[in-house]
Amino acid sequence: MMNPLSSRAGFAAKLYEVNWLLIALVSLVGLVGVAMIFAATDGVWSRGAQQHLIRLIFAAGVMLVIAMIDMKVWYALAYPAYLGALLLLIGVDVMGASVNGSQRWLDLPFIRFQPSEVMKLAIVLALARYYHDLPKWRVSRVSGLFGAAIIILLPMALILRQPDLGTTLLVAATGIAMVFLAGVNWRVIGGAFLAGTIALPLFFRFGLKEYQRSRILTFLDPSRDPTGASYHITQSKIALGSGGVSGKGFMNGTQRQLEYVPENRTDFIFTVIGEEFGLVGSLMTMGLYISVIGLCIWLSIQCKHMFSRLLVLGLTTTFTLYIFINLGMVMGLAPVVGVPLPLISYGGTVILTVMAGFGLILSAHLHRKNELPRSQY
Amino acid sequence: MAERDQGPDQAVITRRTAMLGAGGIGIFSILASRLYYLQVVKAEDYRVLSDDNRFNFNITIPSRGRILDRHGENLAVNSQDYRVVLIPEQVNDMEATLKRVSDILPLRDKTLKRIKKDIREHAGFVPILIDDHLDWKTFSALNLNIPDLPGVIPEVGEGRAYPDNGIFAHTLGYVGRADPRDVEKDKDPLLRQPTFRIGKTGVEAAADKILRGSAGKLKVEVNALGRIVREWPEPADEAVNGRDVWLTLDAELQRYGAELFEEDSGGLAVIDVMTGELRTLLSMPTFDGNLFVSGLTQDDMDALNNDEKRPQYNKVLSGGYPPASTFKMTVMLAGLESGLIDPSDKTFCTQRLRLGNRTFHCWKPGGHGPMDMRDALKNSCDIYFYDLSQKIGMDNIAAMGRKLGFGTAFDIGISGVKSGIMPDPAWKQARLGNGWRMGDTLNASIGQGFVLATPLQLAVMAGRIANGKKALTPNLLIGQDLGEMADLDINPEHIAFVQDAMWAVCEEPGGTAYRDNGVGIKGLDMAGKTGTGQVRGISMSERQSRLRKNKELPWKLRDHSIFVGYAPHDAPRFAVGCVVEHGGSGSKRAAAIVRAMLQRVLERDGLGAKPDEKAEGEAL
Repeated sequence: MMNPLSSRAGFAAKLYEVNWLLIALVSLVGLVGVAMIFAATDGVWSRGAQQHLIRLIFAAGVMLVIAMIDMKVWYALAYPAYLGALLLLIGVDVMGASVNGSQRWLDLPFIRFQPSEVMKLAIVLALARYYHDLPKWRVSRVSGLFGAAIIILLPMALILRQPDLGTTLLVAATGIAMVFLAGVNWRVIGGAFLAGTIALPLFFRFGLKEYQRSRILTFLDPSRDPTGASYHITQSKIALGSGGVSGKGFMNGTQRQLEYVPENRTDFIFTVIGEEFGLVGSLMTMGLYISVIGLCIWLSIQCKHMFSRLLVLGLTTTFTLYIFINLGMVMGLAPVVGVPLPLISYGGTVILTVMAGFGLILSAHLHRKNELPRSQY
Repeated sequence: MAERDQGPDQAVITRRTAMLGAGGIGIFSILASRLYYLQVVKAEDYRVLSDDNRFNFNITIPSRGRILDRHGENLAVNSQDYRVVLIPEQVNDMEATLKRVSDILPLRDKTLKRIKKDIREHAGFVPILIDDHLDWKTFSALNLNIPDLPGVIPEVGEGRAYPDNGIFAHTLGYVGRADPRDVEKDKDPLLRQPTFRIGKTGVEAAADKILRGSAGKLKVEVNALGRIVREWPEPADEAVNGRDVWLTLDAELQRYGAELFEEDSGGLAVIDVMTGELRTLLSMPTFDGNLFVSGLTQDDMDALNNDEKRPQYNKVLSGGYPPASTFKMTVMLAGLESGLIDPSDKTFCTQRLRLGNRTFHCWKPGGHGPMDMRDALKNSCDIYFYDLSQKIGMDNIAAMGRKLGFGTAFDIGISGVKSGIMPDPAWKQARLGNGWRMGDTLNASIGQGFVLATPLQLAVMAGRIANGKKALTPNLLIGQDLGEMADLDINPEHIAFVQDAMWAVCEEPGGTAYRDNGVGIKGLDMAGKTGTGQVRGISMSERQSRLRKNKELPWKLRDHSIFVGYAPHDAPRFAVGCVVEHGGSGSKRAAAIVRAMLQRVLERDGLGAKPDEKAEGEAL
């Protein structure tokens, strides 16, 4: 019997083997985004929805291309990609354009993009490869932990300098989750937890910019600043709450029509869903996300190699954290840190990153049975 | 080797994936329950909040009614007013915003203080006036900067304007911001709107309830920036505009009166002797009521307060002047009605009358010689009236004075109407605590001493004599409930006698008002009486050497020029009272004004014959 997954198999046959269910679910989420951006911009097609759709189609193409490329290539590219992303982050630090007071963008002749987005993928690749190569017995040893810590802390420090608290937390949490998945023993986990408890107040005091501290304080005590930062949260909660069970109907949201909710086509897009489609629509959106996440976890279990497995799980973790942070923020459970709702929020680089991530997941699944080399330390 | 290393890993990683998966399900459950809390448990609260956000109930200020003259000419109107207001709850940084605004529109410290006080005292959604009466340049400059100034709203509102720049200022009054006492008394929500203007004085205040209208409530949909997205008019909540108020005044006639006064100071009232309608109610000089609407600067205020002619003082209603010789008709009528006097009896005027150790003088050097009652009025002989008043006594005179309207504050619908003083022995005892003396009677008999009257009262007095039957009451607001006019209760024959004597003053050669216009005005057959209100004591030495001419005296010490009159003589229609402060001898200045006014008012009513140019020129 011919192995349909071998690299010699026909391209069409290989395309057929791609997990189309995941592609369908991801596309559905993206289309929800198009509809909600359309509503958030008062039904003006050209104010975001159209752009979002074009980006989705383009990103889906990128996703498929990535999916077709053999896992060996991604394995080989893991460290170079990570190093490249690090250099880009340093580049932003040196010559990045400042938008809204923070340096996150790198202005290249044709595109302007956020290296921190690239890092979200690169760090997962790097850690997946690191643990793929690392002998099992060294995972909980100081030497093994040290390598992982370097991989995680370098980009964290650079992204925090931009400053971008949301992405820093996202990268850190993804990294920690991957270390956890790789199997560090519970003693190390307990010790890290203790160290974190001690380090957190120090980080809060010295590691954060004034406005970041203020956002967190405001989140803890909204009455500190009723018109400033907590204004977003209050308005967002009003929009969600006034939607009730069934919502006000598509395009009928008064709060978003009146521009009460700021940034409602980007980070606060979920308020439009909540207001116009109510609890039913909100839960359905969450259900869609859960399906995507669940499917990804299922795909990860089928992977034969540590690299593929950790890669899929790491990317899924990033995707999930996006959702948690964004929804928590919109519902008033987390501080406002500027994390978009993946595939639904308007914004170019995030779509590309997320879709590229799904491309890697699809590739991992498609090449799940293939052999991978293993570097020895 | 790879197999060996990877084998156990798979189990760990699967276990840990399950753990993370469980954690993820836990977090999704928290998020879902949060959604349930927000969208089901608290949904009603948030729905209310969302409606709060969507809608503001703005108080809409109705258009203020106009004030019109009897012919419908505008005396007080609403004009387009460019202004800028501030909605405090939409302002992020008040200090910075006010600073930005004052870069474009300089704000005085006093204004800033007032704005801050307003902000403290009103709810955050109530628009606070920053400044009004902006010129177009400033207004458009502000409009350009609006995107950077959330909460600052330039708007075109209605401002009160007085087209005649002050000729009606005393009567109309002006509008201004409601002060705390107004708000205390009146619960109308309009008064708490900082952009609302309430009538402060005059007709604006008296008829405020009619002019004001009633507040509307406008449901408006606003976005987070405070911009009104949509208005939801509900007919029941619409503002009801104020109604117009019509005055009996004749704008054209009033303007003519103001021209006649030129730079002089004083009061002038023209009254319809049949109905009591006031055709003119003028106090000179005037002030510009528009200044009060826009807010006086300190300089404006100083200029008004330091003017010795006191522009703000409503002389026609509030000014108390000695009526002087115009009071003599009262003494005459009191004498005739007393039955003690035969009008043909003569008194010999030698210019002096001794009373105890005091000497009373007639104005005419050398005296008038023998005078009967008619001649005494025609020549305004003081000695005759000194004599007459001694015979009939002050109580009789005061009673007649009151019948003719002295000592009465007439209700013409606006405030500021003063009663003057009609003194009698009881009044003096009560007021000054000492007894009435014959000298007081003598002074009163020629309208000096304690007697004080307003120009309005002089017009009413002349009007009552002209009417002869009814106690004419003046009125200003058309539609005011006047009730029935009381009878005058004076013997018509006596009235006719006095009317004839007043006619002689104006139309017979030798009358005190005859010589002033030479031949009089052709076709205007009027009756009247001169008066010279003395404002200084004349010393014995000055009288013995030579009376100083008015021209030689400082303005403040010159005599008041007074005249009352009515026309036509045979069928009276209009009466006029006029005081020109420090205007010199009575018959000159005031008489000329009264004559011209009578001629013009009759003309305007189609009653007067057209005079030839020459005669009019001389009259002025």
